[in-house]
Amino acid sequence: MRTSPFFHFLMLGFFKERKKHIGVIAISLVILFLLGSALFISSSIRYSLNQTLAWEPDFVVQRTQGGQKVNAPTAWIDDLLEVHGISKVTPRVYGRYFFKAKENSFLIVGVDFMDEQSNKALRMMMDETDLKQFLKGDNMLVGEGVSTHLKTHFYPNGYTFLTPKGVFKKVNLFKVLPKKSNLISNDMIIVPIELAREILGMGEDEVSDIALNVPNDDEWDNVADKISAFYYDIHVTTKEDIKKAYENLYNYKGGVFLILFLIVIVTFVLILYQRYSMVYSSERRHIGLLRALGWSIRDVLKLKFFETMMIVVIAFVLGVALAYLYVFVLGAPLLREIFLGGANLPNSVILVPVLDFGILSSIFLIYAIPFISAVLIPTWKIAVTDPKEAML
Amino acid sequence: MMKAMIVIDNLNKHFKSGDDIFKVLKGINLQINSGECIVLKGVSGSGKTTLLSIIGGLDRPSSGKVLVEGESISKLPDLHISHFRARKIGMIFQHFNLFDHLTAAENVMIPLIPTGLDMHEVNHKVEVSLKLANIFHKANSAAGRLSGGEKQRVAIARALASNPAIILCDEPTANLDRNNSLKFIDILSQLHEMGKTIVVATHDPLFDTLPFESKIIPMEDGSLVDTFSKDTLAES
Ligand SMILES: Nc1ncnc2c1ncn2[C@@H]1O[C@H](COP(=O)(O)OP(=O)(O)OP(=O)(O)O)[C@@H](O)[C@H]1O
Ligand SMILES: [Mg+2]
Repeated sequence: MRTSPFFHFLMLGFFKERKKHIGVIAISLVILFLLGSALFISSSIRYSLNQTLAWEPDFVVQRTQGGQKVNAPTAWIDDLLEVHGISKVTPRVYGRYFFKAKENSFLIVGVDFMDEQSNKALRMMMDETDLKQFLKGDNMLVGEGVSTHLKTHFYPNGYTFLTPKGVFKKVNLFKVLPKKSNLISNDMIIVPIELAREILGMGEDEVSDIALNVPNDDEWDNVADKISAFYYDIHVTTKEDIKKAYENLYNYKGGVFLILFLIVIVTFVLILYQRYSMVYSSERRHIGLLRALGWSIRDVLKLKFFETMMIVVIAFVLGVALAYLYVFVLGAPLLREIFLGGANLPNSVILVPVLDFGILSSIFLIYAIPFISAVLIPTWKIAVTDPKEAML
Repeated sequence: MMKAMIVIDNLNKHFKSGDDIFKVLKGINLQINSGECIVLKGVSGSGKTTLLSIIGGLDRPSSGKVLVEGESISKLPDLHISHFRARKIGMIFQHFNLFDHLTAAENVMIPLIPTGLDMHEVNHKVEVSLKLANIFHKANSAAGRLSGGEKQRVAIARALASNPAIILCDEPTANLDRNNSLKFIDILSQLHEMGKTIVVATHDPLFDTLPFESKIIPMEDGSLVDTFSKDTLAES
């Protein structure tokens, strides 16, 4: 491509005066990095929240004893089926199994493979699994985290569980669950429901809890009240409760985020002011001189526009790319603590890469428009004065 | 034969500072023919720079008009006046006014950029004018590092880049030693031979005895002392 003299000159000026721009690019980069990181973390969390909620049923019924959750009897299932408004009752069998060597734990989930899966997330995970083959022996589907953990401890093909009854139970690793469901499945081991009972030491007449679907939102309160009245030791959790619990974990609307935001805005205003006054001081003579040498107002504005655009684009692309690396590759050390609110959340939460182009482009505009204006408005004011005046 | 290149008609320029009006140019009438060399002589503050700026379209008159090749430049819209400056006027400023961070060649390129030439033509013109101003050997040196005489030759090359018909020089020798001043006069006579219309504003006595035909017009307190009368203007 043949470069036009205009772009040749633009590049020349830009690189020969890079000292003038490097500070502003660096500070903009930091601002955009912070904003970008905050955006990436919060949209990733929002995504996680939605995913997690999709995993949750409308209601969960648990048995409590002394305020603690214990296994529920299967007898409850029939009673619940009687309740008007409940479309589906799913007994769930799951529990944590602690891997002694490193005190890591897996989530064992028992699934009734004969039942049609109402849970979307589960359906997605088990896509493409050959169920017939799977059910032939003691097989398990494991999340990626589990798979790598087993591999590093030299169990590439399966694992021998020690049941509470003191029996060793060897289970083959059938397949690793797809990466896209990592958020939920990372530490998960899916086995047939009977096998789960065995590993977790649960009786035939026990379930961990019972999930209910109530299609009509208006009936939620009604149904919840009715169920609560059934037994003295029944505890009902709705999807709303779960959502609230999660939202409390992510305190990204909290004070630290506000302070961060304030710092970003103040710094940004300072940058704008620096650019604005720079045009009036050091650029003034240059603009007047260009005008004196035959450049029209439009030529001068074009030069300054592209020059500023280069700064804006360099800072934006680098800032956002660094934020992406920092959040999704490094896992956002430091900032993560602010957003995830410390200890509440199990450390297995991974920040899933989520790119929200809508917000990215609005950040770009919110950054670029004031920045370009801060340069073009004074440039224009100088360019329209007589060159002799401007060159003084 | 004597074609009028620049006609200045009852030109006034004043600056306001608060309630005071400060008259810098007072009723100037002047006709400069194509190929002529005019030397405006006057003490500091007599209004030479102001007059040159108005001729070059860098400043606007308070009243009166300036015609270049019959066209009144002070009334042109920006795009036209910029065009006019780029194609018709080569200006050599009192303080050279180079971009110090750019090389000599890059400085000379500046007036060519808005003319719509391609890179090849631009480079060619830059080379020609650097050679003409006898500074081609410093083409790739940063302007800020050049000596005063070299800077001025770069300024000359820049003024010549778009091959303008009119060259305006403001105190061209004020920052030069005698040797460099004489070199400048050499270049000036070359330009004269090329048929350029030249206006020099100076108080340097060197210009009293130029080796080529020139017209010295003394300037005093915003007026031309020995100038064309209104009648001469009317005759032409
Ligand atoms: N923008 C301005 N505002 C107010 N006064 C001005 C302005 N420009 C020039 N003047 C005044 O007009 C007068 C003429 O200035 P000008 O620069 O034309 O003089 P000059 O003959 O070029 O002087 P020198 O030889 O010192 O360059 C000076 O007294 C100057 O102070
Ligand atoms: Mg002057």
